[in-house]
Amino acid sequence: MEKKLEKVLNQGLEKIKEIKSIEETQDVRRELMGKKSPLNEVLKTLGSLDKDLRKSIGMKATEIKNTLAKKLDEKENLIIESKSVLSSPLDLTLPGTKIGSGVLHPVTQMCYDLNDAFLSLGFEVFSEDDISSEKYAFDNLNFAPDHPARQMMDTYWLKGTEDKPCNEKLCLRPHLTGASVRYLLKHGAPARFVYPGRVYRNENADSSHERAFFQYEALIVDKDFSFSSGMVMIKTILEKVFGREIKTRMREGFFPFVEPGYEIDMQCVVCEGKGCSVCKHNGWIEVMPGGVIHPNVLKSAGLSPDEWTGFYINIGLERLVMMRYGVDNVRLFHSADLRFLEQFK
Amino acid sequence: MKVSLNHIKKYIDLPKDLTVEQITYDLTVRTVEVESVENTADKFNNIVVGKILEIRNHPNADLLKICITDIGKGEPVQIVCGGSNLYKDEYVVVSLPGAKVVWHGEGEPVEIKKTKMRGETSYGMICAAEEVYLDSFFSPADEREIVDLKGVKCTPGQNISEVVNMDDTVIEIDNKSLTNRPDLWGHYGIARELSAIYDVPLKKLPEVKIDTSLPKYDVEIKEPDKCNRYIAVEIENITEKKSPMWMKALLVNSGLRPINAIVDITNYVMLAVGQPLHAFDRTHVDGKKIIVRNAKKDEKLLLLDNNEIELTEDDLVISDKESALALAGIRGGKKDSILPETTGVLLEIANFSASTIRKTGKRFDEKTDSSIRYEKNIDTKRVDEGRNMALLLIKELFPESKIVSYNDVHPNETVRAKIEVPQEFLDIRLGKTLERKTIERILKSLGYDVDYKNNVYHVTAPVWRSTGDVSLRDDVMGDIARILGYDNFQETPLNIQVDHAIIQNNYLLERRIKEYLSFRCGFNEIYTYPWADEKYIKAARIDNSNSVSLSTPPAPELSTLRTSLVPGMLQSVAKNLRYYDSFKIYEIAQVFEKGEYHESSDDETLPIHKKYLSGCIVGKNAKNIFYELKGIIESMPTFTHSTALSLDKKKKPSWADKNAYLSVLCNDEEIGTISLVSIATMKDCKIKRTNVAIFEINFDKLIPLSSRTNKYQPLPLTPLVEKDLSLLVDENVEWKAIENSISSKVNSIEFIEEYKGNQVPEGKKSITLHLKFGNKNETMTSDEINDKMNTIIKTLDKKCGAKLREE
Repeated sequence: MEKKLEKVLNQGLEKIKEIKSIEETQDVRRELMGKKSPLNEVLKTLGSLDKDLRKSIGMKATEIKNTLAKKLDEKENLIIESKSVLSSPLDLTLPGTKIGSGVLHPVTQMCYDLNDAFLSLGFEVFSEDDISSEKYAFDNLNFAPDHPARQMMDTYWLKGTEDKPCNEKLCLRPHLTGASVRYLLKHGAPARFVYPGRVYRNENADSSHERAFFQYEALIVDKDFSFSSGMVMIKTILEKVFGREIKTRMREGFFPFVEPGYEIDMQCVVCEGKGCSVCKHNGWIEVMPGGVIHPNVLKSAGLSPDEWTGFYINIGLERLVMMRYGVDNVRLFHSADLRFLEQFK
Repeated sequence: MKVSLNHIKKYIDLPKDLTVEQITYDLTVRTVEVESVENTADKFNNIVVGKILEIRNHPNADLLKICITDIGKGEPVQIVCGGSNLYKDEYVVVSLPGAKVVWHGEGEPVEIKKTKMRGETSYGMICAAEEVYLDSFFSPADEREIVDLKGVKCTPGQNISEVVNMDDTVIEIDNKSLTNRPDLWGHYGIARELSAIYDVPLKKLPEVKIDTSLPKYDVEIKEPDKCNRYIAVEIENITEKKSPMWMKALLVNSGLRPINAIVDITNYVMLAVGQPLHAFDRTHVDGKKIIVRNAKKDEKLLLLDNNEIELTEDDLVISDKESALALAGIRGGKKDSILPETTGVLLEIANFSASTIRKTGKRFDEKTDSSIRYEKNIDTKRVDEGRNMALLLIKELFPESKIVSYNDVHPNETVRAKIEVPQEFLDIRLGKTLERKTIERILKSLGYDVDYKNNVYHVTAPVWRSTGDVSLRDDVMGDIARILGYDNFQETPLNIQVDHAIIQNNYLLERRIKEYLSFRCGFNEIYTYPWADEKYIKAARIDNSNSVSLSTPPAPELSTLRTSLVPGMLQSVAKNLRYYDSFKIYEIAQVFEKGEYHESSDDETLPIHKKYLSGCIVGKNAKNIFYELKGIIESMPTFTHSTALSLDKKKKPSWADKNAYLSVLCNDEEIGTISLVSIATMKDCKIKRTNVAIFEINFDKLIPLSSRTNKYQPLPLTPLVEKDLSLLVDENVEWKAIENSISSKVNSIEFIEEYKGNQVPEGKKSITLHLKFGNKNETMTSDEINDKMNTIIKTLDKKCGAKLREE
């Protein structure tokens, strides 16, 4: 009897060893320990054995049963551990599923980046309509009636208004600055606001000139204000665009609506001011004009120049985008070409 | 404008260790933008003076000679030359090996090498003027003539740039940065700026006393508003003469061509002090009288190049008793020119009003060195500087010359601006307190008179800045800040006054909508021009009668300013179909139409502006893209926190397919449309083998929610029962009817799919929907559920004729 049990154990262990799948474990478990199993047969006959033998055979049989059960569990765990949810291995080099998102126009992205920065400084976002009168586009801004700057900006005038007085002579706005007076007339001072938007110039388009392009202008109007505080706006823009502090310089520049007026240069980010082809070897790149709001502009806005002053800056958004990404053709921005736009996801 | 550093040094002694780089930096930062710097001696490298010691015939060539030439170092060298004017002891221009010359004055410069010519060694080349950039200085009689330096002070070996005063540094200034500075259009003005920047004294210009007993030359100014001052000086005993090297050098380095001594003097003075001058041959002025008058109707002026220009009554001319001689302040006519036989001149030093010059110049589309200066508004005092310098130069070059008559007619005088600048104003605006002596030093060096009393600077602006440039205390502050240098001002932080947070819901709504369309719905944002292409306006069947248009459009077909974004959308679709067969694009921009609207003040009337949002989905399956677009518009209010929109079939947009269009409504107002684009419109746009679902909404009518308005709903205590139903209904039964018929009986009803085809009888369609319902407080029993389902099915049958579909 004991030999029979030994045989059951050995054959059982042998069978367990050969198991390959979870299904086989169940089969083998039934075979080794089920009702019809040799082990069960032995246990069934225990009653017919004498007391001592019954005890020793019984203990032995139970021990074998436990051993086999344990081995089976072990085997089963082993198989589960090695199992995969996949029937066959994956090609891990295949690309992942694409995120199906569209894009904001890169100019919009730049604009929102700058808005976020200026909103954090307590600026409002303002916008003016695309069509303006000559009065708001030029006269309010201290452009003398026959000032050369008026001729410099070749403006798109509206048909039928060309010969009318300045408040009825209409154009697609040639710059954003007219909006500054509109805001101040509406909201008064003190004020700090940005007014991004599209402007229009009647000129021949090429890779660096466009007939329609976006500007970003910001203005602070306050009492007892120094242009040296205006520099913070310049820093804000460049740090937002380039992600780090950028060295700048202000130099003399002339625009009718400011006094004094500045051209603002930034140190060339390519050569760090040493001189390279990007900065035409002088280490600086002209990025934006700015200046102290001209007393005559304040007067147009119904504000007393004795009481108020302020600071403007204006920057071309396409230019910033071009610098940020290395875009070499400004006409792409109005092309609606998805091959271009989709690169800015 | 080009500035000669040599000439600047006539007026100031610059600090010894100052580099050209530093000068250009300081000028750029403090005064005007320097565009480039050129060392004019560079191109004369290895081009030196030679003295011909001996001339031999060339053994193998008749036209060539062998010149033994002293080039100032060691042994004389042998140079082969074919010049027609060679002689012993002649001083010539020699290009040594390494020099770059232009063969016969044409093409790119070529490097000279030691060479053999017909078997004879030639150490360099004896040059003609045009070969070594000297044609402005020497004019040969025939083309084989080489430069003969007879009468020119020079020594063998000396670099030729020194001999002709071309050892100079020329700084080119961007004219745009000089727009508002009439005082800087001459070297003396730039020298004054440098004297202020480096705190070095500026030398005074020479004075000349005019003999008051001279007879008066007759000058009549008929337009005193247009001519502020006119000096006429009649001078005799003038001969034909070339100007000296130093004068030619300044002209050449400033981009002007030397002509003859009289004309060169007028140009030289203009370059020096910025005052244009004009010289007439006095015999060409009929009747010995100058009249400054408006041109007559149909009057013509014959120019030097024999072109005739037609004048208008707005143009100011300089005339004699007979006819116009010159276009005032712009250019002379043929009749007034200085000729070789000229023996007497009438010198004009005048001041014309800027607007006159600008208007006439613009009409003739002409800028001359003279008009470009008058345009900037020169002061009347400058006339004296011009006159003085010119008379001294004429005396110097024509010692035998004599002034025979003179007149100075002076209807208007530039008045120096008086400005009060409080100390406190400067302290605040500059952001720092400067010492009084610094302020006074800077202002005085720029020509201001300063008187400090009771904490106020009483300032008198220099006359050369008083024609509009300086009139306010802000201008004075600007001058102080720039001369000190903006680098010398620390950034000061912005004051922050917070009384409320900035919430701009309309701005935020636009941003949320863009982000919704781009990031959630997969649209790409585009920008198109505001001028719409006629072709696409027509294709979209848009009525154009209410549009506004441009007077000078970018192209004839682009004159209409858009009344809708749809034409631009269609054009962009057509463009992108070359590379993509399905995509989504949108744009937010203003559209325009005739009307009256006052944006900022009643005196300004603008056309109507509306901000529109338009977009489209391009794809093969018309039905799918239509429903996709419908879903996007339906969900937009939820995702963008704006007032709910509804869709209803109203008026058909002109570009829409007859079977697929809906109006977008907000508070019962029609604010836009969605539709499929009609086959006819697509055909006209050359949109092929695809479909377009398009929407356009008046963005101004979308109302942002001031805060989030959705309410929390308690979670159901008992689970809801969920059931799918497949119904068979007549084809013409609308979903809305099905939904409405049972919506009161269930918690929610959701459309799953619609099916028409082989699997259902003709004239019928199958609708699958998903229902959720339940009791409020307890779980439904299966009997209750069956009862509920039976009621629902009965209602559907009764109201919509719907039957359960047999699976």
